[in-house]
Amino acid sequence: MAPAQAHPRSAPSASEEADLVARLRGGDERAFEALVERHYATMLAVARGYVRTRAVAEEVVQEAWLGVLNGIDRFEGRSSLKTWIMRIVVNIAITRGERETRTIPFSAFAPEADEPAVDPDRFRDESDGFPGHWRAYPGSWASLPEDTLLVRETLDVVKRAIEELPAAQRIVVTMRDVAGCSAEEVCETLDVSEGNQRVLLHRARSRVRSALERHLDG
Amino acid sequence: MAESADHLSCQEVVELVTEYLDESLPAEDASLFEQHLNFCEGCVWYVDQLRTTVETVGEIREEQIPPEAKERLLGAFRDWRRS
Repeated sequence: MAPAQAHPRSAPSASEEADLVARLRGGDERAFEALVERHYATMLAVARGYVRTRAVAEEVVQEAWLGVLNGIDRFEGRSSLKTWIMRIVVNIAITRGERETRTIPFSAFAPEADEPAVDPDRFRDESDGFPGHWRAYPGSWASLPEDTLLVRETLDVVKRAIEELPAAQRIVVTMRDVAGCSAEEVCETLDVSEGNQRVLLHRARSRVRSALERHLDG
Repeated sequence: MAESADHLSCQEVVELVTEYLDESLPAEDASLFEQHLNFCEGCVWYVDQLRTTVETVGEIREEQIPPEAKERLLGAFRDWRRS
């Protein structure tokens, strides 16, 4: 079985990135504009995890870009440019969030209680023979008409499910699966361990799958 | 991960799918995972559902920057360049 495909928006190579940084330092407006267009949505999604409103998140992103411009001469390339930019967003968002008293507590990225991917009632118990096996199989989505998943109604279900996720799960799944960040980029940006990143992503995907299942099979 | 060395239950499989898709499952668990899929159609469908979920999430269009926000940023950029 093939692993999930890499996100189509692939990361720029190290030399492309060095070139971009040089152009930015040299005051190339087109380079700046391209960078803004590429990262704005992800920055906004990350900021939204920390502050109360979209308007404040937009201010955080604006401020972050000023931080990028004022700091670009000190960028050393130890992380990717994208990760460096996202770290600036997180730092500003945390400061803003504290002022608003809605910061994500540091521990929010450490998953706490057990959260099963699938309702335990859907599996057989000890008394049942084959404990831990499906009572009834989940449906096969392979037989759905091809465009069912791509119609707006389905995408709205997915969007809503993501909006309703706990903040840490929402940030991680947005970075990984909407914005196409790598696991490493998420860990560096959010200062979260590889294991916790994966648990948060898994819980987020599992919740979105459940929402899709209710929509498609319900 | 596995309770016994030679067998995964469906309930264990559903917790390992993200690790499997990320290719970060240790080789031994990946092999148990694949063995399970060989005889369990329900889990094949489940893995396919999660993969489809990831692909569908990837279809959500990221929003574009609003023109006025972009103008403001380009203005800030010109100020920065002059300074």
